[in-house]
Amino acid sequence: MAEQRFGFLPRILVASDGREPLQVPEPLADAVLLRDLDLATLVTAAGRARPPLAVDLDAVQGLNPDAAAVRFVTGELGIGVVLTRRPAMVAAAAELGALGLLHVFGFDSTGLGRSLEAHPRRPGVGTMISPGPVLAHLLPEDLVRLPRPVVAYGLIGSAELARRLLQRADAVVLAPEVAIRLVDAVRHTAPGDS
Amino acid sequence: MASSESNTRAFLERLAASPCCAAITVESRLEEALESRVGIIFILRADGLALRPLVNRIHRAGRLVAVHLDLVDGVRPDRAGVSWLGRAGVDAIISSQGQLMPAIRREGIVAIHRLLLIRRSLLDAAVAAVSKSGANIVEVLPGVILPEIAPALPKLNVPLLAGGFIRTEAEARAVLAAGAAGVTTSSVNLWRADFG
Repeated sequence: MAEQRFGFLPRILVASDGREPLQVPEPLADAVLLRDLDLATLVTAAGRARPPLAVDLDAVQGLNPDAAAVRFVTGELGIGVVLTRRPAMVAAAAELGALGLLHVFGFDSTGLGRSLEAHPRRPGVGTMISPGPVLAHLLPEDLVRLPRPVVAYGLIGSAELARRLLQRADAVVLAPEVAIRLVDAVRHTAPGDS
Repeated sequence: MASSESNTRAFLERLAASPCCAAITVESRLEEALESRVGIIFILRADGLALRPLVNRIHRAGRLVAVHLDLVDGVRPDRAGVSWLGRAGVDAIISSQGQLMPAIRREGIVAIHRLLLIRRSLLDAAVAAVSKSGANIVEVLPGVILPEIAPALPKLNVPLLAGGFIRTEAEARAVLAAGAAGVTTSSVNLWRADFG
């Protein structure tokens, strides 16, 4: 297995379509997850002064989420966190020293169980679960089946909900405006406040 | 043959009387469902080519039956598959495939379109697809998050069902308060609960 080059996973990832550099405070500027864009935009975004940290491999038009794509985004573009629904590809990302996040969907307990059966369960591969709010409703026995790190992704519409999810998740993916509100809220929370 | 609209009215009347529906994935759970308060049984997994005895049994017990076209074995989710389930006597068909909703309605069956909640940037397109499909009812999954995301959910002009991870009476009540006409659940305690 390759050396783990990308151990960094911030607690907040900011979702972006990569078309413009995000106007977000400093702690968030290095925590961008790209999704809903095309291949050319991905390459442009990766060349910026603050390159993206993560990419949703299944949400890039023009990019087939296969082994060549994993090599390209981790090698050529230097992206350290790769998200995809394909178990073999998150394992491939880990082999290349990136953090792979298997994207699983929590629509119901049966479907979630089936998604997790295919999880590579190896070092360097965690779990991205959508929609994010479902994480708050999983039973302890469901939670322990999610290989860590666990990231909540999608439909996290408020800073308060994000804070609640961070009690169960290692990280959350947020829209920029929600991420900014959460960072502001954390800054204004006195030590000892819940 | 009754129309899909009149069957939908009957379906919604059942929901009003008993908003929890039993979702079953194995036939062995059927007895428990039939002994409970539920008025509608959702069959999510079964041999789709041998459904008629199961449907007849549920009807004899005075309950309605909905079948998930995309999940049952042996039946392809296409128009012929819809027709097959119609001949088996099902009252409602669930599918994520919007293009099948008109075919389901033409069979006089209640058409239930599944709306999968994933992330905001996909939601508008999903809602547009559901609005265009002409479904009688929309089922949102995972239903347990409906109270949290209802304010962000674009208005749908059809009744909502909610399914997925609804395990407690408090969760079911919260989902109903958020606007669902009913919940689908595999939790037996909810099949027995009185929501009157």
